[in-house]
Amino acid sequence: MAILGDVRLLAVALRAARAPLTVALALLLVLGALLPPAGAVAMAHLVGRIQSAVPADAALSAVALPLLVFVLVLVLGHVVDTAVAPLAFLATARVDGAHRARVAGLAAAGSTIAPLEDPQVRALIRAARADPENWTEQTPGAGAVAGLRLAGNLVGVAGGCLVLARYAGWLVPALLLPALLNGVLRQRDAARGIAVWRAGTLDGARGQRWQDVATSPAEGKDIRIYGLGAWLTARIQRHALAMEAPVWALLARTIPREAGQLLLVGVPLVAGYTVVAAGGAGAPVGSDRVVAATAVLVSGVAVFQALGWTEDLRVAVAAVGCLRATVDLASRLPTPDQGGASRPAAGTGPDGAARVRRVGPPLVRFEGVSFGYPGARRPVLDRLDLEIRPGELLAVVGLNGAGKSTLIKLLAGLYEPDEGRVTADGVDIAVLGAAAWRSRLAIVFQDFVRYHLPARDNVVLGRGDHPPDPVALDAAAADAGLEPVLARLPAGWDTPLARTVAGGVDLSGGQWQQVVLARAHYAVRMGAELLVLDEPTAHLDVRTEFEVFSRLAGNRGGASVVLISHRLSTVRHADRIVLLDGGRITENGDHDELVARRGRYAELFAIQARRFATGGRG
Amino acid sequence: MTARRATGHPAPDTKPVRPYRYLLLWAELLAVSWRRAPLLTAMQFVIPAAMATAVIGGALALRVTVDAMIRGDAGGAVAGAAGAGLAGTAGIVLGALDSHTAGILIGRVAVLDLNPRVHRDITTLDGLEHLERSDFQDRLTLVRNAGWEIVLSLWSANGVLFAVLELTVMLLLLGTVNPWLLWLLVFAAVPLWFDQRGNSAIIRADLRAAAPIRRQRHLFDLATDPAAGKEIRVAGAGAELARRQAAAWDEAVRLRLRAQLVAAGWRMAGWLLFTAGFGAALVLVVHQAARGAGSAGDLVLAVTVAAALRQSVYTGVRYTTNVASAGRVIEPYLWLRDHVRAQRTRVGGSAPSPPRLRHGITLDRVGYRYPGATGPALADISVHLPAGSVVALVGEYGSGKTTLVKLLGKLYQPDTGRILVDGVPLDELETRTWRSRISATFQDFGRFPTRFAENVGVGDLPRLSDRERIAAAVREVDATALVDRLPDGLDTELDAALGGVDLSEGQWQKTALARAAMRPEPLLVLLDEPTASLDAPSEQEIFDRQMERSRRSAAGTNAVTVIVSHRFSTVTGADLILTLHHGRLVEAGSHRELVAVPGGRYATLYRIQAEAYAREGRRPTAAGAGGPEPDVHLRPN
Ligand SMILES: Nc1ncnc2c1ncn2[C@@H]1O[C@H](COP(=O)(O)OP(=O)(O)OP(=O)(O)O)[C@@H](O)[C@H]1O
Ligand SMILES: Nc1ncnc2c1ncn2[C@@H]1O[C@H](COP(=O)(O)OP(=O)(O)O)[C@@H](O)[C@H]1O
Ligand SMILES: [Mg+2]
Ligand SMILES: [Mg+2]
Repeated sequence: MAILGDVRLLAVALRAARAPLTVALALLLVLGALLPPAGAVAMAHLVGRIQSAVPADAALSAVALPLLVFVLVLVLGHVVDTAVAPLAFLATARVDGAHRARVAGLAAAGSTIAPLEDPQVRALIRAARADPENWTEQTPGAGAVAGLRLAGNLVGVAGGCLVLARYAGWLVPALLLPALLNGVLRQRDAARGIAVWRAGTLDGARGQRWQDVATSPAEGKDIRIYGLGAWLTARIQRHALAMEAPVWALLARTIPREAGQLLLVGVPLVAGYTVVAAGGAGAPVGSDRVVAATAVLVSGVAVFQALGWTEDLRVAVAAVGCLRATVDLASRLPTPDQGGASRPAAGTGPDGAARVRRVGPPLVRFEGVSFGYPGARRPVLDRLDLEIRPGELLAVVGLNGAGKSTLIKLLAGLYEPDEGRVTADGVDIAVLGAAAWRSRLAIVFQDFVRYHLPARDNVVLGRGDHPPDPVALDAAAADAGLEPVLARLPAGWDTPLARTVAGGVDLSGGQWQQVVLARAHYAVRMGAELLVLDEPTAHLDVRTEFEVFSRLAGNRGGASVVLISHRLSTVRHADRIVLLDGGRITENGDHDELVARRGRYAELFAIQARRFATGGRG
Repeated sequence: MTARRATGHPAPDTKPVRPYRYLLLWAELLAVSWRRAPLLTAMQFVIPAAMATAVIGGALALRVTVDAMIRGDAGGAVAGAAGAGLAGTAGIVLGALDSHTAGILIGRVAVLDLNPRVHRDITTLDGLEHLERSDFQDRLTLVRNAGWEIVLSLWSANGVLFAVLELTVMLLLLGTVNPWLLWLLVFAAVPLWFDQRGNSAIIRADLRAAAPIRRQRHLFDLATDPAAGKEIRVAGAGAELARRQAAAWDEAVRLRLRAQLVAAGWRMAGWLLFTAGFGAALVLVVHQAARGAGSAGDLVLAVTVAAALRQSVYTGVRYTTNVASAGRVIEPYLWLRDHVRAQRTRVGGSAPSPPRLRHGITLDRVGYRYPGATGPALADISVHLPAGSVVALVGEYGSGKTTLVKLLGKLYQPDTGRILVDGVPLDELETRTWRSRISATFQDFGRFPTRFAENVGVGDLPRLSDRERIAAAVREVDATALVDRLPDGLDTELDAALGGVDLSEGQWQKTALARAAMRPEPLLVLLDEPTASLDAPSEQEIFDRQMERSRRSAAGTNAVTVIVSHRFSTVTGADLILTLHHGRLVEAGSHRELVAVPGGRYATLYRIQAEAYAREGRRPTAAGAGGPEPDVHLRPN
């Protein structure tokens, strides 16, 4: 029954290739599989004609028909073979394209990112992504086409059996049964092989991660300074061996077993052939037996070949693994529809944005919000209360790991609180709907995205659900001070920001930060009213940092701003500063108030300000 | 500051690889395979030979059978049929053996010899260029896991050889039926050649489709990555990215489908020509058989051989295609080897590092330009870094601070000028031993997909599992509290992709700092914005300890400490402050000296920050920061 399920998976995947193509391909494959038996028959008749024509003279005309048929079969065989290639390519490409779109869609569907961080989901995504990294992985498209081929082969076997049945009926069971048995045994070996290689996928993935490390410029510097080259090489090899060595051992064990085929294939084949040949030799001249014998001799082996273990089967089985992972993945992730359902009409599309704009910046409230990462010892946020008032510049400070970035993710609804709720103007953001709520936000994350796309797209994707607005784009570039960087790009806005792309350039970290600030400003220009900046200037020098905040002060319009920074010189000008400590807001007020309170913030500020106060040394 | 320009063309050294280099490579791979597994290697020759024999023997046996049947010679027919049956069986069994033995052999050579060699080359090359240029990166991505494909190409080439051999023997066999049939040799060359043309169209299209495919993969990876997922969700960019992903895929498919159709056209034409020739040959054989000059067995032989012929041409073509498409990985592979060889001969050096510094490190008119960049990143830097001192590097972003730090780590070679360590030029020092005396945290420090303890321990490999030393390093960078919070303490897995815990940005930075604290007696400590993401107390703690360490080392190794920082509160205590601007050293001196320079660059930057911390605070306004040259984003080329 498992086999039926697998066949169904492949058949469903094949739907993406669309019916006309699939039908054409299937017909060609069946035709191709029937040609060898047809050729055998034509050939047998040819032999028969010659045999009866000897020693008469005008032989050529007597054999003309079977000869023509035979050549025609050959021609057809070539035509089918050549025509199959592009069709199979197209079918594979369509299925794989649809599959990758589906997996990406599944991953992108959920409104929170928590499922994506689940290690099991990540493993499933790896298994389902259909981007083979080694020989054990196959794509659904390749598997579906291989499945079609296998089906075609079965038709071919049937055709071969028909030929046998026509000339020597008893041979059908005599050859077919051992061939089937042999096939089953081969499959069993193969299934064992597949189980062994599946067991190695985790090591495969780990090896891949270390290879990423070996080729990354960031780790590359540590690798050189600390002399890790040989160690790393050994590490990669260890994982490769853990994955591959069992497969080799299994193959080595399979080799002697192949000798078993000598029995299962050899005995019936030799026996069948000799009996048929003896019969043919014993028959009177001109009888049909020679024709029969020839046909049998020419098509007998093909039955065994078609039923044995083939590469097509391996591809199909591996592809089924990928499809099963996809099914599993789909059951663990919210379906795209659910994601869409929580999206009310307002707030989507340009008119929605316009409506939102009229509302003005929201009053956001964290009400008793608790949150912990799965598997962590204690929660990061512990019944936290916080208010972000409309139009204010609120700074959030706290030690490393205090939970500032986590707070932002909760604000954007990227995690659901374990306890408590986040509201906007009194409405729980879960009720507002992710899309509607997020259309009012613009966030610069600590680990922002670097799209390998033109500079323009890198900015306009800051508001990806609206058509690009060139006016807002230029305004955002001005807001973020991006123009000087742009002027240096060889093709301006059209320059791809990755050197792997033709005509592209690599940007430095500082330049990227400017691009991302422009992205956020673009979102604000497009209607976002709450701008969040998580350490936007950590790698910028003091002057550039100063300019960033000067521009922000001038250009944020009415939007509220939440700023996270360890540089308290920039934080002090916020309308309000809150300190996050132990999962709660422990201090709240403007700079002067907090300093006057002589609490933790005052301490932090003093640490940074001390040296300036003492005028240098010290 | 300039964008890092691509040179337009991939790289100056991407001449197409000459055929003889393929031959040399295969000879080398053959030798490696032989050393790794002589028996399996021998089998790669024996088995195909046996398979060819089986095919030819099978055809001959069929002829014998048919002729014997027609003669009514039962003994001959049975013997022939038995031979044909055995040959068929041998074909099946040998086919299986061939794939199993090749699988083991190729896997072993790839995993045990080739891949490690590639990884060693990638990770032990002195320089960084091959990692930092994304076009070189691209090649590394191709070659880093390509051992299998490269070794396979050897056996594909071998397969081509055997296919041609088999083809020749079969044609000679046909020649025994009628010498005219030898003309089929010419006809057999036609599909081979046409097929080849079709395949090169496919390979060319694959190359052109590489760009949309890469884009497609990039977008897919973003869509499935939780980190990128945050921003994509907030920006509502998911649908747009999905649309682009599909469009990129379609573009690649269009390009490749066209080539597939062209190739199919060539292949079809080739085979039709061949079949025309073969049909004529059959007429000849039939005619001969009918005239009694030949036998029906000859016809069977001719047809069987013809079918086998087609199979060998197919096999030959398939193997040729394998070889040709292996060029995709072989070319970057050979490029990497050339690159490594060129780098290794360029940077030699065998002098040992001194046990302790006496004078210090001197930069003498040092200049450096990134390959493909329009202007130098550093020019004409001359300065002496005294032994035992703490040197601070300041300057706006893009001014060349990181570049200077990397030059000191010998990660790049200066284009002009020299760096001297106690008077010995850096390129005369052996790289490995020099680096073994460096301790460094870079701006974009490494994050290793492994346990916390190993992430720190790699800072001193011999003590990778010395938990006490690791714990001490953790204490030294004020990260004990961080470790205490981790679910499994030092043994917490940090590879988020495999179910580990993710650290916050600042926590990662502390981990990297702890790594740098592992080395016992460095001569040079490099800290490139080591506290950019740290909170105030940690930053203070790190700097205080670093100062203390460096003072202590004055008695020992007398190390030089180089710190890059944007936080002047920590720079002020340095013995020597260097201000870089547009790749040039514009000021050098102590804090007191530099703040006193009227309108000086350091003084200006310091003032901006000091005022920001002053009691009133300087408020960012639309007016900007003031001071000399407010436009710092551009660098004249
Ligand atoms: N994806 C995750 N899985 C598990 N734990 C996490 C994850 N992300 C963060 N953490 C943990 O949650 C805590 C809070 O992290 P967060 O990134 O919110 O800190 P932060 O305040 O932004 O720190 P920093 O100032 O260093 O940026 C840390 O202890 C961190 O290790
Ligand atoms: N790998 C690289 N390839 C090309 N150009 C680079 C590379 N790294 C830095 N640059 C360029 O060199 C200059 C100096 O950069 P960098 O040393 O990183 O400055 P800083 O550390 O002071 O910010 C900049 O113009 C930068 O764009
Ligand atoms: Mg953070
Ligand atoms: Mg830098």
